[in-house]
This record gives sequence, C-alpha cells and structure tokens, in this order.
Amino acid sequence: MMDMAWLGLVIGSFVSIGAYTVLIGDNPISKVTEHLYTGILGGYILAMNWDFIMRNAITKIQGGQSIYIISLIVSLMLVTRLKPEWLWISRYPVALTVGIGMGLAIRASVLSDFLAQVQATLLPINNINNIVMIIGSITAITYFLFTAKYEGPYRYINQTGRLFLLAAFGVTYGQTASFRFELVIGRLVDMLKPEVAMYTYGFLVVVAVLLFYGYSTKKIPWYKGR
Amino acid sequence: MSIVKKILDLDQRVIYLILFVLLAYPILNPVILPMAIQDYSKQAFNFADSIPDGSVVLIEGGNSAATHPQCGPGLTANIYHLLTKNCKLVFFSIGAEQAFWTNREIQDAINKLPAGVPAENGVNWVHLGYISGGESGVAALAANIRSAISKDYYGTLIDDLPLMKDINDAKAFSAVFWWGGSEGSIPYGVRQLVGPYNLPMSGSCTTNEVPNYSPYISSGQMKGIFGGVRGSAEYEYLLRVPGPALGQAMATNFGGLFWLVLVVVGNVLYFIQRGRGEK
Repeated sequence: MMDMAWLGLVIGSFVSIGAYTVLIGDNPISKVTEHLYTGILGGYILAMNWDFIMRNAITKIQGGQSIYIISLIVSLMLVTRLKPEWLWISRYPVALTVGIGMGLAIRASVLSDFLAQVQATLLPINNINNIVMIIGSITAITYFLFTAKYEGPYRYINQTGRLFLLAAFGVTYGQTASFRFELVIGRLVDMLKPEVAMYTYGFLVVVAVLLFYGYSTKKIPWYKGR
Repeated sequence: MSIVKKILDLDQRVIYLILFVLLAYPILNPVILPMAIQDYSKQAFNFADSIPDGSVVLIEGGNSAATHPQCGPGLTANIYHLLTKNCKLVFFSIGAEQAFWTNREIQDAINKLPAGVPAENGVNWVHLGYISGGESGVAALAANIRSAISKDYYGTLIDDLPLMKDINDAKAFSAVFWWGGSEGSIPYGVRQLVGPYNLPMSGSCTTNEVPNYSPYISSGQMKGIFGGVRGSAEYEYLLRVPGPALGQAMATNFGGLFWLVLVVVGNVLYFIQRGRGEK
C-alpha cells in the first residue's frame, strides 16, 4: 500500500514549486496550484465545520436538548444572503454574532488591553529599561495629539515619539521579514527531505522547462520586473 | 546607466533566486551559528518548568500548514516537557485546520517520549478538537466545556474520558499555553482566560507577531513567549531535546543576514545616487 505521508510530501512539493513560480510572474502553473490549494483547504474546512455541527448540534438535538434548534435556525439564516431578496434575514445572525463578540471582547479589553497596559507603564524610575519604557510610551502617545501646535517643547516631544515609533516599525519589519523566511524554510525542509528530494528536483526541472517554453513562445506573457 | 542605478534597478527575481539558494543551503548542509537565548523564551521555558508536577494544563493548538514547520516543533517540545512532568493536558483549537496539526504535534511529542512516561489518550491528555466561534468559543469553553463541545477530536464523548471527569471549566486548570501560530488569537486567551479566571499564561506565535504581544509580557499578563522558529529552536535547546527547529533557525539566520546586506547596500547606493543628483 502506498505511504500516504510520502504521497502528501510529493504532492506538497509540486504544489509549493508551482505556487512559488508566481514570483517569476503570473502563469498557468501558479494559478493551477493556487486553485488546488484553495479548493482542498476550503473542502477540508467545510468538512470539519459540518462535523462540528453534527457532533455539537445534531447529536444534542437527537439527545433531547431541543434548545440547540435555535442555533441551527440562526446558522441557516446566514445562508439566506445567497439570494439578494432575502439578504436582510442574514443581517440578524451577523448582528448577533458581532454583538456577542464585541460584548465579550470589550468587557475583557478594558482590563487586559487598557488598565493592565497603563499599570505596566507606571514603573519606578530606577533602571534604563524603565526610563526608556516611560519616555517611549509618553512621547509615542503624544505624537498622536493632532490638535496641538507643532512648536515649542511639544515639537521635540513629538519628534522623540516619532523616533520611538520608527524604531518599533523597524522591529516589526525585521520580524515580518524573518517570518516570511520561516514560511519558505518550512516548505523547503519538507521538499528537501531525502525521500522526496529527487521528486522536488524533478518537478523543478519540469516546471522550468514548461515556463521556458511558455515564455519563449510568448504563450505566457512575460512580466517585466523593475 | 551607472552601475549604482543598475544595482538599484535589479530585477527582484534575481533577489528571490539568491534568497532561495541561501535558505536551501543550510537545510542541505546544516551549519550551526552561535545563538543567544532570548529573554522571552527563557521566561516562557522557566514558566513551563515551574508548573507543579501533575497539574492540569490547557493548551490551544493554533498552528496551520503554514506555521506548523516554525511553531510546531515548539509545541511538540512543550507537550514533551509537560508530559515528562506528569502534567495532564487538555488541547483545543479555534481553527478547523489547526485541530489537525495539533493532533500531529501531539503524536510527534508522544513518539519522542522516553520509555515509561505515560501518555495515554483520555488519561494523560485529551484533544477536544475544533471549537467554533473564535473568541466567543473560548469564552464558552472557559465557562462550561460541555456546553461548547460534547465529543473530542476522535469522536469520543467527553463524559467517557477519565481525564475530563472533574474538569468542567477554566477553573480546573493550573496554566494555559496558547500556541497561536499566526491566528492572532493570543488576545483571546488574555481576555477570556487570564483576566476573568486569573490563569497564568504563556505561549507562542509567529515571529512577526511577537512585537504585538510583548506588552502582555511587560504587564505580567503573559509569562513569556516563544517567537517563531527561533523560539521553537530555543525551547528544544533549553529542554535538551534536539528537534527540527534548530536547523531551520540557522537557515533563518542566513536569510536575515542576506536581507540585512540588501537593506544596507540599498540605502548606501540610494544616498550615493542622490549625492550625484541622479534620478
């Protein structure tokens, strides 16, 4: 019997190479692999959600907990948005979901995202880290005082705040670049495993030949990079 | 056209190709560069290590196909760490795909465990699977597990699992580990578990999300965080259990160094071009 894990790695290798060809320019191979991935993931998520509904609503209704019928009806109301004339019906479950979500988040946000963060800034001025934290927090918030005139001492506070913000953006940019590398590395690790490496090299050659043929015969439009 | 302009106008596909080769090289020929352990990782590890043996711990597994290679080894190390401390683990995921990957990470950890460490499904750990509703789902789970879910990932009734016998809500747990991947869901844990139930929490996210959650560490709402593949590698290193993350972290270093060179060269050439008055 075929090893399904191995088959998954081989298909994953082909799909990854196909998806990465988008970096050369939009082409049929990248489109096929993109649609393949989206379709498989969509199907998987649909199946998982169906299973969730079966386990947690249908089973409970069958077990006599008829209150869960309400959740099923509310869920079905969402589907009415597919018909424009019935669109208004779907607004009620959306409003309910957004309302509950907002209520839950706001209740806890005041404590966790506001008060706790303010408390965390009220630090003793006894080391360089705390001083940087206090100055950074105050000046960065001051930067967003758009009603104050950009002159006098406020100008320097504003500029200091901007420096702190730029430093924070720099850190975020660096971390984002690192995250993107990690995504590629994650795929490369699977693609270059000894049991699939030969297939990966083979796919690379096949895809390169197909693209070369497509671009040289102008069947695929060449994207002119900058 | 001057050489400066030619370099600045370099086709980005050349950069992609060089980057691809640079990232693949350390995977094919492992190279170990010196690596300092980050404070956040050390704090997260110490927190996990300080959990009393036999505690019941809640774990959100939020890694997807994209984030499994970078954060998966960290979660595997975390499960290994806690199971060797005889902790009882209750897993759940707030994403359908994530439930699958969490199951894989549990199996990876169990396969690594030394002989004699108990890791029986239903007794030492339970995977509740996918909980729908995002933050609302987490709030429902925290308030009453049985109202949010009736069967585990494998289809077994929650009431038939010995570990779940006395576990009804968040009060039953000693700690939370939120392996959020790139879900952006760590605030759900902070808002719905740390705030209302006073549960100590630690976890992991992808590298790019670490700056977003570092204020939670400064405020004490999180005990620490493992960021991306480097965080996973650091967990493996601190636990003295080698895994796949260390090699990947080295490849990230190569990519990072190349990017740094590009940023520096790009800026220097930009100023040279501007100094010459070229456009």
